[in-house]
Amino acid sequence: MVNLTIDDKQVTAPKTATIYEAAKLNGINIPILCHDKKLKPFGACRMCLVEVEQMKGRQIPACTTPVTEGMIIRTSTPDIVKARKMVLELLLLNHPIDCPVCDKAGDCDLQNLTYEYKVNANRFTDEKFHHEIDYNNPLIERDMNRCVLCGKCARICDEIVSFGALTFISRGIETKIGCEFDEALNCEFCGSCVSVCPVGSLLARPFKFKARFWSLTKQKTICGYCGTGCNLTLGVKDNKVLTTIYDENQGFHNGQLCCRGRFGYQFINSEKRLTKPLVRKNGNLVEAGWDEALDLVAARLKGAGAAAAAIATARLTNEELVLFKQLMETAGSNNYDHSAGYAHAALTEGFASSFGVAASPSSILDIQKSELLLVIKTDAYETHPVVGFEINMAVKNKGVLLKILSDKSGKLSKLPDAKTLIHTPGTETTIINSLAKVILDNKLADASAALIPGYDELEKALADFTPEAVSAQCGLSAVEIKQLASAYAKADKALIIFPVGQAYPGHTAALANAIANLALLAGKLGKEGSGVLCLSEKNNSQGAVDMGFQTADGLNANQILDGCASKTIKTLLIAGENPMVSYPDHAKVAAALDRLEFLVVSEIFLTETAAMADVVLPVCSFAEKEGTFTATDRRVQHIKPAIKKTAQSRSDFEILGALIKKLGGIAPTAPASVFAEIASSVPGYAGMSYVSLGEEGQFATVAVKPAFVVPQAPLAKSETGKLALVIGSALYHNGTLSQYGEGPMHVCPEGYVELSRADAAALNFAENDLLTVSSAGGSMVLKARISSRIPQGVVFAPYHFGSNPVNQIWNGAAVTWVTLTK
Amino acid sequence: MNPINTFVPIIQGLKITLGHLFKKPVTLQYPDERPKVAARFRGLHALNVSHNKAKCVACYLCPTVCPAKCITVEAGEDASHDKFAAVYEIDMLRCIFCGYCVEACPVDAIRMTGEFELANYNRKDFVYSKERLLEKK
Repeated sequence: MVNLTIDDKQVTAPKTATIYEAAKLNGINIPILCHDKKLKPFGACRMCLVEVEQMKGRQIPACTTPVTEGMIIRTSTPDIVKARKMVLELLLLNHPIDCPVCDKAGDCDLQNLTYEYKVNANRFTDEKFHHEIDYNNPLIERDMNRCVLCGKCARICDEIVSFGALTFISRGIETKIGCEFDEALNCEFCGSCVSVCPVGSLLARPFKFKARFWSLTKQKTICGYCGTGCNLTLGVKDNKVLTTIYDENQGFHNGQLCCRGRFGYQFINSEKRLTKPLVRKNGNLVEAGWDEALDLVAARLKGAGAAAAAIATARLTNEELVLFKQLMETAGSNNYDHSAGYAHAALTEGFASSFGVAASPSSILDIQKSELLLVIKTDAYETHPVVGFEINMAVKNKGVLLKILSDKSGKLSKLPDAKTLIHTPGTETTIINSLAKVILDNKLADASAALIPGYDELEKALADFTPEAVSAQCGLSAVEIKQLASAYAKADKALIIFPVGQAYPGHTAALANAIANLALLAGKLGKEGSGVLCLSEKNNSQGAVDMGFQTADGLNANQILDGCASKTIKTLLIAGENPMVSYPDHAKVAAALDRLEFLVVSEIFLTETAAMADVVLPVCSFAEKEGTFTATDRRVQHIKPAIKKTAQSRSDFEILGALIKKLGGIAPTAPASVFAEIASSVPGYAGMSYVSLGEEGQFATVAVKPAFVVPQAPLAKSETGKLALVIGSALYHNGTLSQYGEGPMHVCPEGYVELSRADAAALNFAENDLLTVSSAGGSMVLKARISSRIPQGVVFAPYHFGSNPVNQIWNGAAVTWVTLTK
Repeated sequence: MNPINTFVPIIQGLKITLGHLFKKPVTLQYPDERPKVAARFRGLHALNVSHNKAKCVACYLCPTVCPAKCITVEAGEDASHDKFAAVYEIDMLRCIFCGYCVEACPVDAIRMTGEFELANYNRKDFVYSKERLLEKK
């Protein structure tokens, strides 16, 4: 800490602080335009000029000058005010001052400063700019006439998003922010540039002219897409969510969001939403009252026993999942599951056996504190983009080494010094086992490892996994495996990150065991910046696991569908899931649901699955209810309603409570009381309450009891003459919900098959060709995308789309062998 | 009682009354006679027109400043991506004719006319749409 004087006030600040930071820390506001706390100091706008006595009264920028002991700083002398006024006058010289039609008005730094410094007239005259406005993409409008050249957009795109879509182009008075060759913006549309723009140069088009900033009610909540648990501020007017608002002080991610988080909110007020309960009469779904619909469901559930089953989405709140369990238990059934059953086996079976707890021992906050990151599959960026930003910052700002094991390269591969080992699809577990073997053989194992139960068995089981033995199978050289193993073992702090989810059937319990073994062997557990982080797919996947929404004595989702097909299960309740699109094997799911006597679906939209139901219950979205979500790193966060429930929709909490009452049980009245129950019964949640969660949330503790578990590595089979299809997540989507968000659908509206340039050339395919993709299970038509990131012999397809569901050709295998024809 | 004190004021009063018999009457025979409205009178609003379209750019300053909350604006985006008022409504039943909307307007798009005969038979007729508010030429 250093001592200094700011505006006659004795203050202290950390040694590394700049004058701006020191002032802010002590409640003194220095105006800024080009500075952002997430970005490196830049010093472009000269608004933050201050006087330092030791520097002979010269005016220096506060945002780039570090503090020194004994500094005497003045932040608002008449000379400084005059200088700042001059800066504003010069900025306003070329600025169009079209505030009445600019959506930024009310939230505009330039406007606020102009007002604050009373710049009413301009002593200079000059021509305004006449740059062409970029309307080429549906999400971000770029009007460079309003730009003040603070460079924040270009810097955030480079430093945090690591895409580099924007930069300064041209020189002198003609300098502007542009894309490569001054063409239209075509990026990953995370909207980070829009969020930091201090003026109206970059605007969100979905919100264009919708409302004025000051008329919006701001409600803080948690994003309802992936498991990262990003905090979100919704802008609400007239009971409609109109936009997401950037708040740089929100969450661990400082307000950073991805495309779906920032632009995918439109499903909340979509006109396609279900408004009334629907009941099937004479083969057609017709509108009905709530009492009628709930009575029908309750009558079917009463005494149903094991003939009833439930499948829930991991988007329900913890409270709703607990209530759902209670409902099924009241009905006498313990057949309930979430996420297709297999999607989170890495947690429920893998980590449960290796760590004694079905949760990741590390958190997202460890990423930037690490020294080496080992990412399994580049898809970690696509499934959890904001975790991807953390990786970007760790690598670019903190010099963290990045090693990637993946079946294709991706955005993470482009980071500085990132080493991507591209292996044969489906061989992750084998490679991780081989890494463990190298660590054992080269005596790189931590001293603590030998004391962990199961060490001897593991040593024996790994005998066959020498790099030389597996290299041919995995498509990696033995040297590469050895180098990676020693780099991992020798790093002081190393973190393994891998995504799981319905699209990653290869990320099994065995893979989780293998990863846990590797981390335990190398002694990487229990240290800050070190350990294992499993990225759960949906916003409350970890919560669903924690709430125990699957029991060992009940059927899992796959067995439930089998039960439907064999008619042992007669009544199925589906809450928010869309198995027809997102579960493997379309034909099997369709047949199973078809044979059911009674299907109840509670949904926001009339999905493909809801269309097959006997009773459809309209439920509200995350923006209309209260509860808690548990993020992937077990951060429990509280959501509050931003709007009133639309139409006749009810929350799952109300529906499940009403059903429990109809079955003769006692239903809790408020989510808070259920959360109190959770806090007292779920391990790690002890002591939590809505009040204690606050805005930041609280981490549920993870008590690790390590053990080595011998993982069963699947043998990679290959079929000659066919291509290996791997399913995954597209950057703009998460599950099937994002299909109803307009933003993601503007950028990525339909399914596609991504193949390598080499394969495309050999098969004579061009971009956007309609290809028939055939597997042993069936065939479908998908648009071709040709990219350099896919290795030869591999094709990739995302799984989100109801219009062309990839489960027609995919039966849940980690690798599907397909042929492509035009 | 002094008779002078009693009768003089009465006579003086009658003189004034008598004098008015020969002056121009103050009473306006409305509606046969129309009042002359002052230039700064604040009556029904009109949306100013320029280049054959409303000058209003839907900046929302008038609904923001309106103390009676009687103005409804909804912005739209036209073919050339410009902002215009797709909906502009004033509820005359709520309006207090304070003129703040005119004062707030940054583009001189709204003014107040001398029109004061705003009676109507239905409540909904008091909500003036953009078409009814556009200045008549």
